Parts: sequence; structure tokens; C-alpha cells
Amino acid sequence: MVVMAAKPASVSIRSYQVGFGDCFLLSFGYGNAAKPTSERHVLIDFGTTKLPRGADKDQMVLIAQDIAKRCGGKLHGLVATHRHRDHISGFATTKGSESSGSIIASLNPDVVVQPWTGDPKAASNALAPTTTDASTHKGFVGSLTRMQAVSRLAVGEAARIEGWAGVRLLSQIKFLGEDNVKNPEAVRNLLEMGKKAQHQVFASYGVDSQLGSVLPGVQVDVLGPPTLLQSKAIKKERQKDANEYWHLVEGALATTAGPGPRASETAQPLPDYTHWFIPRVRAIRASQLLEIVQSLDGVLNNTSLILLFQVGKTKLLFPGDAQIENWSYCLFEAPDSETRKRQLEDVALYKVGHHGSLNATPKTLWNGFANRGAAKSPKRLKSLLSTLPGKHGSKQKDSEVPRGKLLDELKAQSDLTSTDDLTPKKILHCEDVLLKLA
Amino acid sequence: MQPVKRKLTIIAQDPAVRIDDRIVTEQVEVPYERLEPGPWGHRVQIIDYDASTDHFETPPSKGFYGKKTPVDPFQHSDNATLLTDPQFHAQNVYAIVMRVLSRFEFALGRRVGWSFRSHQLKVAPHAFSDANAFYSKDDEGLFFGHFPGRNGTIYTCLSHDVVAHETTHALLDGLRERYVDPSSPDQAAFHEGFADVVALLSVFSLKHVVGKLVDRAQGAGGAPGSSGPSDRIMKAQVGRDELRKSVLMGLAEEMGSELSPIRGKPLRSSLDLPKSRTLLKDDPEFLEPHRRGEVFVAMVMNAFLDVWSEQLGTLGDEHTTSYDRDRVVQEGAGAADYLLTMLIRALDYCPPVHLVFGDFLSAALTADCEIRPDDERYKFRKHLLKSFDQYGVMPTSKGTAREPGLWEQPGPDLDYSGIHFESLVRDPDEVFRFLWQNQEKLKLYPHTYSEVLSVRPCLRVGPEGLLLRETVAEYFQRLEVPASELARLRIGVNKPLQMKPDTTVKLYGGGALIFDQFGRLRFNITNRLDNATLQNERLQYLWDYGYFTKHAATARPFAALHRKRATGAYTRITEQWL
Repeated sequence: MVVMAAKPASVSIRSYQVGFGDCFLLSFGYGNAAKPTSERHVLIDFGTTKLPRGADKDQMVLIAQDIAKRCGGKLHGLVATHRHRDHISGFATTKGSESSGSIIASLNPDVVVQPWTGDPKAASNALAPTTTDASTHKGFVGSLTRMQAVSRLAVGEAARIEGWAGVRLLSQIKFLGEDNVKNPEAVRNLLEMGKKAQHQVFASYGVDSQLGSVLPGVQVDVLGPPTLLQSKAIKKERQKDANEYWHLVEGALATTAGPGPRASETAQPLPDYTHWFIPRVRAIRASQLLEIVQSLDGVLNNTSLILLFQVGKTKLLFPGDAQIENWSYCLFEAPDSETRKRQLEDVALYKVGHHGSLNATPKTLWNGFANRGAAKSPKRLKSLLSTLPGKHGSKQKDSEVPRGKLLDELKAQSDLTSTDDLTPKKILHCEDVLLKLA
Repeated sequence: MQPVKRKLTIIAQDPAVRIDDRIVTEQVEVPYERLEPGPWGHRVQIIDYDASTDHFETPPSKGFYGKKTPVDPFQHSDNATLLTDPQFHAQNVYAIVMRVLSRFEFALGRRVGWSFRSHQLKVAPHAFSDANAFYSKDDEGLFFGHFPGRNGTIYTCLSHDVVAHETTHALLDGLRERYVDPSSPDQAAFHEGFADVVALLSVFSLKHVVGKLVDRAQGAGGAPGSSGPSDRIMKAQVGRDELRKSVLMGLAEEMGSELSPIRGKPLRSSLDLPKSRTLLKDDPEFLEPHRRGEVFVAMVMNAFLDVWSEQLGTLGDEHTTSYDRDRVVQEGAGAADYLLTMLIRALDYCPPVHLVFGDFLSAALTADCEIRPDDERYKFRKHLLKSFDQYGVMPTSKGTAREPGLWEQPGPDLDYSGIHFESLVRDPDEVFRFLWQNQEKLKLYPHTYSEVLSVRPCLRVGPEGLLLRETVAEYFQRLEVPASELARLRIGVNKPLQMKPDTTVKLYGGGALIFDQFGRLRFNITNRLDNATLQNERLQYLWDYGYFTKHAATARPFAALHRKRATGAYTRITEQWL
């Protein structure tokens, strides 16, 4: 009989090649650091919106099989940081027992953690989440559902107006829109796994994720997202407007039936005096669609879980796609924000937020990392990045993902492991990052 | 003889506002002009194209609005027609845009142009299916969205305040083109706040609307099943607090209620604001343009309430228990009309760059004093000073003991040699010559690009028919230097700490020159390029809010502003990797 040590001696992190998406497997080793006598495994996210060139068409299934093999057929924890396709599409079970989602489900995770906004009761039951202002939460969760419908409609309309705007603009709408489209199969599977688990947790700032119950000696703090009750009064008020706004946008986009024939299909030429103006209205429409999907992309990113794993003095930070609006509570607004900032100072490993975008690694957070430093400095910060350049944002607007300036800083100040550095020959995952735990 | 005015029916407030279930309409007067199908006049062209459905609505043929005698085709239309007939929607936006335009032209005493070269503002009343409406300079137009509401489709083009608001953006942009430049939080907020104020006062100057609100406050008329308005109104029901609670709050609840998720409720929010001198200065929430704009609305509308209630006090004495209902309405609509004229006229007395609320207050006080030296009729100058002070806004200029806040006049020793009066009131080159000759005395920055933006002769009509002939000219100065060279200028302007030395910094300055009827300079209202305090505050603010990034450039700033408000998407730029 193997007796599990009180705390892990090592943690090994495997970054899978999912292109534009996230998938990390954390394996906590107990006993000997170099050769653990037993392990506990936590999967954080499993999704993609675009696989890299050269990837196998069954890449997600191959990854699921590798996860199953690496964890010996048992997951102790599963985390879906938020419901973007690039974080959960791998959980889908569309292809039955052969699907990546079915393989993960067969690993029977003991604890399944999602953000509070993923709680299905919050959308239909005014008693959940347990707050005194459930209507606001309910409205917010409902608006997230609407946003996903908005995405679907925006993508549909973008396809109809090809030719009215540049190819780049339309592909941006499509990319962002599709990432936000609801992923019912994956969501359903996550909920099913949660029901079967010992603990299904819909977490928010400060609550117990229950991951500690399956990871002896590991403290896991939830640093985001805040609930609406934790936000400032003005944010709550604005949130009500925003909920209503997305409702209106959904209705607006669903309106496709006009009062008469489509101008571009009718044989009747448009009057000459419209020739300058109508192309401008069309261009405005295309820009509007992009603005809409960009706005809702940010909202969903800000529902992302931020998890801080701590073993002894070693800390690992996994913030999903949390952007600054999500981070703001932890860093600036929470009653214990100063304590939190100090807690984050000695992070040993940082999973780079939102694939390296410009606004998901707050400068206050980054500048606070004490382990940043030149190459070969002792205890140098390790960073993990899962990304695929050229898919999100644009260099022209300083919004490319990964953001060049951030990437330079990551390379200069940390030991960076990036899925973008994988060669076609080694396409499944990066070399595992191993940390011996003090 | 050709008519001077054309009467057209518009929706007085919003289709949701009804009396006895009928949409409240009003027949308004707009200048008569030849109309092409659209309607399409010499300043406004309605083009009814919907990009969401790719549908062009063919306008009715020539003659729809009368061949020789003007016709108001929708004067007696029922609710269903008003709500669903695209020809009425086109008429509604045409009439409201023209009414606001002519209101500006009346107040300023001259023609008012758009900010683009063409003469006609294009308006798409059903531009797209979206919960938004905005002005776009690049596209020379106003764009109104539509979307499904609780009780059928909401057409933003049918909301009086939305149309007036967007038209004001377009007019303000034409009058002060540099006010869309990144500058101070006040300047960004002013565009929104001023557009809201014009929209509110435009609605409020319609006597039927005021009458309806007053009747409703009385509990008579308006509401279904009521016995109709009473001729007398109890004095206790139209005190200042009662007017605020019943009439203005009533209006606030009604104004664009269907659009509140997008546009907020600026009047409602402003009426709820606590009077605080530290709000604008210390609360970061009020750096956001819409929030700050609400403070501007509050300052103006509180002054309006003070004036209206004070005027009602003059209708009787301490023994009076009730007032004549029509006089109450008349005083409200009259005060709104006066205030609207005063505020529009103030624009000519505002510096053309870097506006702050204190500048606008000095401008309003000076403009009013010029046309009406005594402040006895409404005492708006006194009340505006008090109301702005309650939010910590003092006039930029000290003024005199008798008339605080007025702009100072220039010294008498200006050089007019070689300046021709006839040219000075029309010709930018002549005004530039005047500036060149008086560069030191007018305190222009000497070593940079300068330009006369406009020269506009005006003939203003005072409340008692007094004519005031003035010429307003705007000049603008610009200096672009790398941040590293700011110190070399020796004007006390410093680069923000984190700004890279090779960042190009643009410094702006400029002034409004007001010449009297003899071509003598009455005022030189400036925000100087070498004003270190102003420029340092501006640079730091712009740096903090990311205006030195490529993100800051946006083709349609008003569209983006409205959506940001709706989604609450304001963020900490300093935390980003820009």
C-alpha cells in the first residue's frame, strides 16, 4: 500500500499544441521529486479555434488520448476557465465514444470547476447563485447566453455581406464570432462530468474551488472572476444596461426580413444620388459587426477563472483569458487586494493570459513578479504561452495576439515555453516543465 | 408669394409617450425650401437605405409635400401610420434636423455649416438593425438604427431627443471642429452633455409637451380616463422641488425609455446626482465622457429649474394659492427657449481648442451680457453661476464685481493699420494679417504653424429686438515635436514619465476673436499653446487614457462612444501592452 505524502514534491506541466486555444495538464508528484511514487492530475482547459498547419485532423483526439495515458486513466481535477470555444471545444462529444470529449469524460474527474457564470441554475433559477441580488446575476448570465446567440447571428450576417468590406475585416468577424458561439456539446459534457464528480464548483473570487480536497498539500485560491455583488455599484448599474443592450442587439441581428426587395438583387438600378452614400452605409455595417463581436469577446474573457496554485512557497498562476476588467477586482478593488498583490509577487510559473493579448497580463501584475529577471538568474520566472500568431487582432492596430511587446518582455524576463515554438515534427505538446516544489 | 415656413408633423417626444393612447405629435415650423424626393432639401438629404436588409426605400414622387402650397401629409395620421410608414419616418428626421439647424442659425445670427465640405447632411433613418444611432463626419451623415423592442420595432429616428442629440453633434462639429480632438475629460464630455442639453431643451420648448407634463403632475389630463386639464394649478404643486420631481422626472422617465440601455438616461441620472464640488475633480467615475456629461446636464437643468420656479413666483404674491395653467406652461417653455438660445450663442465665445466647463460658463455669461446687458428677465447668468459652482465649476475668467465670469476685453493698443473692415469680416487672410500684426499683444505662440479656421459675420437678435452685429473668427496653432524636445521649447511642458522620447507630441492652441460692428476686437478668447498647466494636464490625461496608441484612432468616434457606454467597456489603458 502506497501512503501519499502530505504535500507534492514536484509538479510537471504539459502544454498541448491546440493552436489558438489552451490545454494544460498539471501532474503533481508525491514522494520523490525525480521519480514520484504517486501523482495527481488536473486538466486546465481543452479547446481550439484554429489548429496549426501540419496538425493532424484528429489532433484533439490524439491529445485526449495522450492526456488519458499521461494521467493513467484518472483525472483528479478538471477546470474549464470559461466558455470560449478555444478553451472548451475539446470537451465536445459530437463523435460519440471516439470523441475527445468522451475520452476526457472517461477519466472521471473528482472535481470539476467552472466560473460562476457557467452555473446553469443561474440562468433559470433566481435562487442561484446564492446572493441577495440574484436578479442581477441571472440577468448577467442570461446576457452571456444572448451574446453567444449574437455571435452566431453576426457570423451569419458577415457571410451575407461579403464584398461590402475587406477580407481581413470579415475574417476577423468570423474568427471572433465563432469563438464566442455557444458550444452546447462541450458545455453539456462539462455539466455531466460535474454531476458525476465528488464536487462540481461554480467558482468566484475567494470561494473554495475544492481542488485542494484532491490535491493534498496544495492550496488553490480563486482570484477571479468577481461576482457582480463584489463589483462597485456603478458597475452593477452599467451591467443592467449591458444585459439589456445585448438583448436588444440579439433582436436586432435576428431581423433580416426587410420591407421590400434587396437592393443588390433587384433589377431596378439605385438612383444616382445614392451611389456615394450606400457603400458607406454598408461599410459602417461591416465595422459594426466587428465592434459587436469584439465587445462580447472581451465580456466572455472576463468571466474567466483565475487560479493560483500554491505548494509551500511555490506558486503557479493560471488566469485563463482574464482581461484587466476581471483582474481589476483582485488587484485594485477587493478589500484584500494589497494582500493579494503581495501573494502574487513570488509566482514561480505564469500561464500567460489570453494567448498573449495586450490586455490580459496587467502591467501591475507583471511588474509585481519578483522572479522576473535576466537569463540564468536564480529562481527565474517560468512562463507558459499557448498561442497561434496571425489569427487575432492586427499589428497595424497594435492589437496582434500574441502582442509583440509582451512577447519580447516574456522572453527577456522569463523562461518562456510557447506552443508556437513547436516544430511540425513534435506537434502534440511542448516539453513538460518540471518544478521541484520547496 | 412663396411661403417662408413649412409646417410638418413630428413625434413630439417618443412613440411610447401617448395621451389617451395617441402618440403625442406636434406640428413644427421649418424654413420653407424646394424639396426633392427624400425629402431632400438644400441642407439635409434623407436617403432611406438599410444595410441590414440591403433595402432602399424609394421616396414618394415630387409634389408629395405640395407643389405650390406646402402640404403636411401626415398631419392627421393614426398611430399605425406614424409607426410603420417609412415616408413619415423620413419626414420626422428631416423636420427635426431642420428645426435644430434653424434654431442654431437663429441663435447665432448666421448660416451654420457642417464640418465637411458638402452642403447637405445625409441622413439614413433606417441605416441598420442595431441599437445605436450616431453622427459620422467622414460619412457626412447621421445614421439611425432600429431594433425589436418590447412592443414592436423601435425606430431611433422617431425619438425626438435622439435625432436632436445627433444633429447637435453634427452642428457642434461644424462650429468647433477641434472639439473632437483628444484633449481634456471636459472636452470629451462636453460634446455629449451639450448634445443632451440641446435635445432636452428642444423638447421642452414645445408648449404641448410642457403642458402635458404639467397636467400630468397635476393629476389631470394626460392619463387615460382623466377629465382633462384644469385651468388653474395649485401653487404648492409647482414649487422648485415639485417641478423637479413631477415635471422633469416625468420627462426623464419618458425620454427615450426604450433606448436607455444604449444611451442611458442622461436627464434622469443628472437629476439624481448629488450636488458636490468634488465630483468632477476627485471621482474617477466622472472621467468617463458620458458620466461627466451628465454633470454638465445637471448644472444646466438645475439652473433652468431655478429660473422657472422663480418666474412662477412672480405670477402672484404670498396670498396667491393657484396659477393660471397656461402661464405656467408659457414660463417653462419660454425659459427653455431663452436658455437654449443663450447656450448655443455661447459657442461663439468658446475657445476653439481644449474646452473646459469653466470656459463654457464664461462664454455663456459673456454672450448673454453682450446681447442683454441686464440680467433681469430670467436671471440666467446668476443661476448658471450658482449651479455650476455647486459642482465645483468656476468661470475661467474672473469678470467684474457686478458681472462675474465675463471674458476680459483686450487692451486698447492693438494695431489696426492696413486692416480693411470689409475684408476683416469675411476674409481669413485679412484676419490672419491682424493676428500677424498683433502677435505679441494677443499672446500667440510665435514659432509655429498658425491658421485662421473661419470668419463668420453674424447679426444677432436680442430678446427685445436689439440687433447685435459681430464677426467671429477662429484661429488655431499647432506644434508637433518629439517628446524629447519638449524641454527645449522652454514653455514648461513636460512629457509624461513613461512616454518614449521619440513619441510625437502635438500641442494645440487657439482662440476665438469677436469683432464688433466697427471691426474692433471685443474679445480674444484663447487657450494658448504655451499654457504649461493646461498642456501638462492634457498630456498626462491623454497618456493615462491611451490616446497615444493606435487604438485611439477610430473612424467613427461617436458610434464607438455610444457602444462603449452600452457595454460598459471602459478599461485601464495603463495596464495594457500598448
